[in-house]
Amino acid sequence: MTLLEAIIAVPIVAAIAIAFGSPTRPTAVAAAAINLILILFAFGQYDLVHQEGAYQLTASHPIITVPDLANPGAEATLFGLSTGVDGISLVLLLLTGIVTLAAVWVSPAEDQIKGNKRLYYLSSLLISAGALGAFCSTDLFFFFAFHELALIPTFLMIGIFGSGPNRVRVAWKMTIYLGVGSMILLAGLVALFVALGGQSLQFVDMQAWADAPAAIASSSLENGIFLTLLIGFGILVSLFPFHTWAPEAYATAPTPTAMLHAGVLKKFGLYGLIRIAIPMLPNGAAHWQTLVLVLLVGNILYVGYVTIAQKRFDLMLGNSSVMHMGYAFLGIASMTVIGVQGAVLLMFAHGISIALLFALNGHLRKRFGTLEFDRIGGGLGKLLPTLGLLFGFAIMAGIGLPGFANFAAEVMIFFGGFAGLFAQEKDFVLGPVQIATMCAIWGVVISAVYGLRAYRNLFMGPLPDSTKDRKLADLTLAEQLPLILLIVTLLVIGFAPGLLIKYLIPSIENISHLAG
Amino acid sequence: MESQNLPWIILLLPLFCAASILLFTRRSGNISALIATGCSLISLLLGVALLRLPDGVHVAAFPWLNMGSNVVVEIGFQIDQLSRGMMLVVTAIGAAVHVFSLAYMKDDDGKARYFAGLSFFMFSMTGIVFANNFVMMFVFWELVGFSSYVLIGHWFEKDSAADAAKKAFLTNRIGDFGFMIGILLVWGLTKSIYFTAIATAVVDEQILNGVSNGLLMAMVLCVFCGAIGKSAQLPLHVWLPDAMEGPTPVSALIHAATMVAAGVYMLARIAFLIPMSAGAGEVIAWIGAITALMAALMALQQNDIKRILAYSTLSQLGYMVMAVGINAADAAMFHLFTHAFFKALLFLGSGAVIYACHHEQDIWKMGGLAKKMPITFVTFVIGTAALMGLPFVTSGFFSKEAILGAALHGHKALFVVAAFIVLLTAFYMTRLIVVVFLGEDRSEKAKKAKEVPVLMWVPLVLLAVPSVIAGYEFFYKGMALSPAFPHHEGPASIGLIVISAVLLIFGIGMAFWGYKGETSEPMAGNRLARVFGNKFYVDEAYTWLIKIFQDGLAGVANFVDKVVVDGLVARLPAAGALRLGDAMRRLQSGNLQSYGFLFALGAVLVIYLVVFK
Amino acid sequence: MEVTLNHFLFVSGLLFAIGLAGVLVRRNVIVIFMCLELMLSAANLSLVAFSRYNVTPGGDADYNAQVFLFFIITVAAAEVAVGLAIIVALYRAKQTTDITQINSMKN
Repeated sequence: MTLLEAIIAVPIVAAIAIAFGSPTRPTAVAAAAINLILILFAFGQYDLVHQEGAYQLTASHPIITVPDLANPGAEATLFGLSTGVDGISLVLLLLTGIVTLAAVWVSPAEDQIKGNKRLYYLSSLLISAGALGAFCSTDLFFFFAFHELALIPTFLMIGIFGSGPNRVRVAWKMTIYLGVGSMILLAGLVALFVALGGQSLQFVDMQAWADAPAAIASSSLENGIFLTLLIGFGILVSLFPFHTWAPEAYATAPTPTAMLHAGVLKKFGLYGLIRIAIPMLPNGAAHWQTLVLVLLVGNILYVGYVTIAQKRFDLMLGNSSVMHMGYAFLGIASMTVIGVQGAVLLMFAHGISIALLFALNGHLRKRFGTLEFDRIGGGLGKLLPTLGLLFGFAIMAGIGLPGFANFAAEVMIFFGGFAGLFAQEKDFVLGPVQIATMCAIWGVVISAVYGLRAYRNLFMGPLPDSTKDRKLADLTLAEQLPLILLIVTLLVIGFAPGLLIKYLIPSIENISHLAG
Repeated sequence: MESQNLPWIILLLPLFCAASILLFTRRSGNISALIATGCSLISLLLGVALLRLPDGVHVAAFPWLNMGSNVVVEIGFQIDQLSRGMMLVVTAIGAAVHVFSLAYMKDDDGKARYFAGLSFFMFSMTGIVFANNFVMMFVFWELVGFSSYVLIGHWFEKDSAADAAKKAFLTNRIGDFGFMIGILLVWGLTKSIYFTAIATAVVDEQILNGVSNGLLMAMVLCVFCGAIGKSAQLPLHVWLPDAMEGPTPVSALIHAATMVAAGVYMLARIAFLIPMSAGAGEVIAWIGAITALMAALMALQQNDIKRILAYSTLSQLGYMVMAVGINAADAAMFHLFTHAFFKALLFLGSGAVIYACHHEQDIWKMGGLAKKMPITFVTFVIGTAALMGLPFVTSGFFSKEAILGAALHGHKALFVVAAFIVLLTAFYMTRLIVVVFLGEDRSEKAKKAKEVPVLMWVPLVLLAVPSVIAGYEFFYKGMALSPAFPHHEGPASIGLIVISAVLLIFGIGMAFWGYKGETSEPMAGNRLARVFGNKFYVDEAYTWLIKIFQDGLAGVANFVDKVVVDGLVARLPAAGALRLGDAMRRLQSGNLQSYGFLFALGAVLVIYLVVFK
Repeated sequence: MEVTLNHFLFVSGLLFAIGLAGVLVRRNVIVIFMCLELMLSAANLSLVAFSRYNVTPGGDADYNAQVFLFFIITVAAAEVAVGLAIIVALYRAKQTTDITQINSMKN
């Protein structure tokens, strides 16, 4: 068993152990911690110097083999459980590891869970396992299947443990939405597989086929496949206008599920675009670039204004997480090395910061039972100083204050957007990417508006009479620790983004057809 | 100590200080205050030591963000007259404000937070001053905005302070929106983010030849947007008066002397870019001039002592921006340098008055304080004289003459505006002095006022010294700050001095005559005065605009999202699926005979097709 | 008039149609059952007719179907026994032989 297989197996084994009676919380936290250590170990094992961003720590267990066409007599793998990581997946593994640990750590103690405690912890671990599997797989089938695996526990968590009267309806809505997205995605992936010769589901082989000249003869076919993949992945990442599942689902979901889904699992769609759609269908990507730009501006500006209008903190967070996906799309759609790097870094930074915000959201909900700004009424800064302080960190990270990883990522995305201008020699003309980038920069103002408004409405101003007499406990040390873990991660990467970027650069430069 | 490490120490010491307060001494206000003040005094010493560091000295840079494709953002240092002089201002006023705050914030609950905020501000401001590239400047640009947010909102339980903090941050963000685009345009056009490299490419290699003027103008004006936000120029000036909700020492440090001047500092840094575009300088100069004029008019009718000073700051910043626009960045920097001292002095003086009057800020409830607070009175008068530009004896005179002189050479219209502002400045400052310090006390609080403790008046006295001498050549020459500061002398300036002296006396005289012995605003009924007092209703207009455009747009978007988008993408397909299911369900009647009939019909159809077709 | 295959088939078809119509329109389950038997008889009749008019390679008529028919009638008798038993059981349970009343599995 290789290191990566162990990383995927640890949460699954822990989930099985919990199902068969192992103490829930200690097992889950221990598994998440072990996994984080293993992931850091994988960073140590990853060879930055010699292998120019190729897949490393690979292992393959073929399930179906076919005769190799190019190499008569030999067998080629059609599909099998293949694992491997490059810089991109490594960064996402780290994200998963950190968020998983924080998520099971902030999960309520067993006596506070109404319903099946085992299911609660088991589901969180399975979501994590699904994400880890998807990021580690280098086989199209398992890449897809692991993500689907993670959707089932998400559905159960929202439907069973969610808050609010609509939890079952919301769970169904999200699952149907994501199910349809996955179905479209599956159609696109199958079409891609067939169009690329239908010989192998291994990423490496598919990429090799795609890199061959005129890999897909008909450009309309290539465009069609890319569009299908874009919609499929786009629904999973809540690309405008397929985003309406997300805010409600996150507002309803129990805290660890919201953290894991918004923080980690949602990034699967973006990862798929970077891993599959862009490198294997570069012409399709170029063809639909303007469409993607229009949609992502919808994400940033339109959903941004929707976010401003929210009167409940949890809905505001859900919408803001939709909005920030627009930046990641911008980085990808700029089709430049800097932009794609920024997108991956933003996936990491946003994953951590939104998980942090949802964790704080959970603490507020636990104390007030409501998240409506008007019902809470403000003034909590004096009453709950530690919560206020950590909240301030989270809000500032969310609106991209320098010093947090989010800022570095956003700056890189903006630079990626203008790199096209850079490449022109004379006759500088602002193209659609630059215009979309300018719209995205206005999004920075929008996110400051709703972020500061939320902080103002929750923590500043005088204490209303309704809360004055209530005994509200500030965060205990045990409650603070997972939050501090997330904040420290954001700060470390914010102060030294190079720690992650050095892993990204070679792998992203490997993606052909990106402007330098 | 390696002198090359000096900038690093100046930069990191306050960060270290803020971090240690946050991590360790959060619960103890007094220890935090002492740590922060100690650090600020050390910074002042280091800031003075920095003056001996030669131009362009190589300081090891930290590659903060390596984006790949040869774009590396460094935390690097550009050491020249500009940064040395600015650093001296920042550390000197920072130290004075820290000491003053020890007394002013003595009994505050959030003392630790306050001093951590001050230290963090010192860190961010140092970063702006030293920045050798645009992105680093933007990083610290945002960070000063953040520390300003924390400090304005220090008394966050007050609604007004909480709103002011938010407003300041958001208004600055709007400016930063333009600034970021400007940075990207500069980078896209010149292929560098480093000031020296851009200067080489633009000035020596003429790399921008052939680029359309529209794009160049957009580039310069977008960068200027950053300064509009940070230096509170029209139309983004609204946050600065509201920022007076913060503790007064903060207003002195951040909203008078240093942070708001950062916009001018940045423009001076990139002054070589402005002439690249025909017309951009003109726009900048006029925005500065109009800001200066409108702010001075608004200052005429304010009744809050801090707000009068805030509008005066706006007005003076407009002066500096105007100077940058007419290619007199050196004059602008000179004025920035002197203004920092006397405006900090005035703010700390107003802080002393407010402290003595138990947090009364309305000038009409003061009066007669000259006898009770002699030291404060004298230093305040010195600051006022410098702000008015009293000829030959104050620092403000020299720097103001430099700007007026530059305007006289070729920009007559701007000169007229600038000269008119001299009159207005003299008028509103005299009004302030007469109402606050002279006459009889007009409230219980003013009656009980007495001189402030030593920790507060010592910084006043210390700041009064440079307010007088900072304009003299021996001072800045001795500090190796020239030739960033010019000295416009010669026959042309004699006429200039006469003009401004006449305007000055006229302004002082009018105010004396108008306000001597008054107990309430004599012009209160005047319609024009009401427009000035209400700040030209700009805030009201903005509130309305925000309501219509931001909140209205947000409401519409939310409605569209819930009804149209969710309806089209989610509910319509869902309803379609339900309908279809319903229709199919009707076919499934459960009646065996109708199934049999359908079956028979099918069989007949099959026979027909097979046999007869 | 000579009786040809078509005559047999016509009678068979007529019988089948009467049976089918009875199955489709009648409500009494016993009548439906009888009509089903009618359809079965129609099928048997055409089977025998086809067989009788089929000439073997030796020139003789083919009697295989007539033998086969006895088996069919035997099995059909068994089936009728089972069917009637079900109907009786149903009547005992529901006190009716009207199929529109026998709908407890619907809804």
